[in-house]
Amino acid sequence: MIEIKHLSKSFGENQVLHQIDAEFEEGKTNLIIGQSGSGKTVLMKCVVGLFEPSEGDVLYSGRSFTQASLNEKRNIRKEIGMVFQGGALFDSMTVEENVAFPLRMFTQESRSEIMDRANLCLKRVNLPNAHKLFPSEISGGMKKRVAIARAIALNPKYLFFDEPNSGLDPRTSILIDNLIQEITQEYQTVTVINTHDMNSVMEIGDKIFYIHKGHKHWQGDRVGIWESPNKELTDFVFATRLMRDIRSKNFKP
Amino acid sequence: MNYLENFGRYCLLMFRAFRQPGRNRFFREQLVREIDSLGVGSVGIIAIISLFMGAVIAIQMAANIESPLIPMYTVGYATRESVILEFSSTVIALILAGKVGSNIASEIGTMRVSEQIDALEIMGVNSAGYLILPKITAALLINPILTLMSMFLGVWGGFFACTLTGLLDSPTYIQGITLDFRPYHLVYSLIKSLVFAFIITSVASFRGYYVRGGSREVGQTSTRAVVNSSISILLWNLILTRLLLL
Repeated sequence: MIEIKHLSKSFGENQVLHQIDAEFEEGKTNLIIGQSGSGKTVLMKCVVGLFEPSEGDVLYSGRSFTQASLNEKRNIRKEIGMVFQGGALFDSMTVEENVAFPLRMFTQESRSEIMDRANLCLKRVNLPNAHKLFPSEISGGMKKRVAIARAIALNPKYLFFDEPNSGLDPRTSILIDNLIQEITQEYQTVTVINTHDMNSVMEIGDKIFYIHKGHKHWQGDRVGIWESPNKELTDFVFATRLMRDIRSKNFKP
Repeated sequence: MNYLENFGRYCLLMFRAFRQPGRNRFFREQLVREIDSLGVGSVGIIAIISLFMGAVIAIQMAANIESPLIPMYTVGYATRESVILEFSSTVIALILAGKVGSNIASEIGTMRVSEQIDALEIMGVNSAGYLILPKITAALLINPILTLMSMFLGVWGGFFACTLTGLLDSPTYIQGITLDFRPYHLVYSLIKSLVFAFIITSVASFRGYYVRGGSREVGQTSTRAVVNSSISILLWNLILTRLLLL
């Protein structure tokens, strides 16, 4: 479990996050949703340690990340896998080398064992034939899948996804969502997804946190959204006519 | 204030780069790649520049000796001294600052804006050590060798220019280049080449590592890296000359 306690973040005078509390659970897809500029990416970057919180704490299975020593932080980070919005694949390495990178960096396994594991991860994300291609030679959806394969290579306990569906067509988005859900259940990871994609929210949102102007405005599940009286949340989720129509006809997920 | 802040960040980055070098096999692989890219890839341009530089120095020396009281072997002597003391270390460093410095700044800068450095950090990799240390080490190893090569070619460039144009015969030139040779001048020049190698790679890495924005900013950073390292090279050239030669 990941616990966020009273987390605040400021950039100079500009306070972006205000006293956020949250718990991300194991084996569930925990979604952070909110409009662009609401602070959800900053929240995720604070949780994974790319930003230092101004106040508050982040606990990984009870271990404080913000107060951890450099070595302790490195050890916790080895248990984290993250998929960035653009994939963040190493562009001078092939797909196979990208997936093998964390294994080569942190395990003592032989080259053939590492390659076997990398191939297994690529097969798991349905990319069995792209090993020798460079990131610039594959599509956006494939890049996301390679990034997922790299993130799961070390069997992480915690998985983070920053806008996993951005730039993808609806069909590929569904494939990625399903893949994330399957991996979460298969590996029993604490999965945290940062998104504003309503399909993802309705499809895989086991636990949802709504961030509005740096505050946590609402917390619940995808059924709860339907009945929530929170005006900001409903304005955000049911922003399109289609979503309003679906809601008015009471099509609950 | 901004200069002080940047200098502080530069020192902290260098501290991080040298603190945790990461796994040996990665370091070795990266080091070989960087030696090839920063060193071997620069041999051609350095050879051409050094030959022509030595040739021009020798011709200018010969053209400016008008007094019959000054022996003609002075051309060889002055060419050797100019090449060893200044041109091979400083001019080559300035050229490498342009070629290698911009390359490093844009490579690391692109990795920063495409979140590749963040990905390394999330994995628990010391990105500064992984990306910067092999570059600095490679430059420290290869730059003195390039400088020695440049000295050799510069002196022989002068020889070819003098003998092929008939300005000087070869025994006179060789008498000049062997006259009153002080090995310390070679040491002085090699010390400078080490300091310049560190400046070129560390300043470019620093600029690239902290870039923010997109491709335009990466381009601007690359230019800034070249300007910063060139100015630092000239400043340290003055400081080292004062400290080591006087």
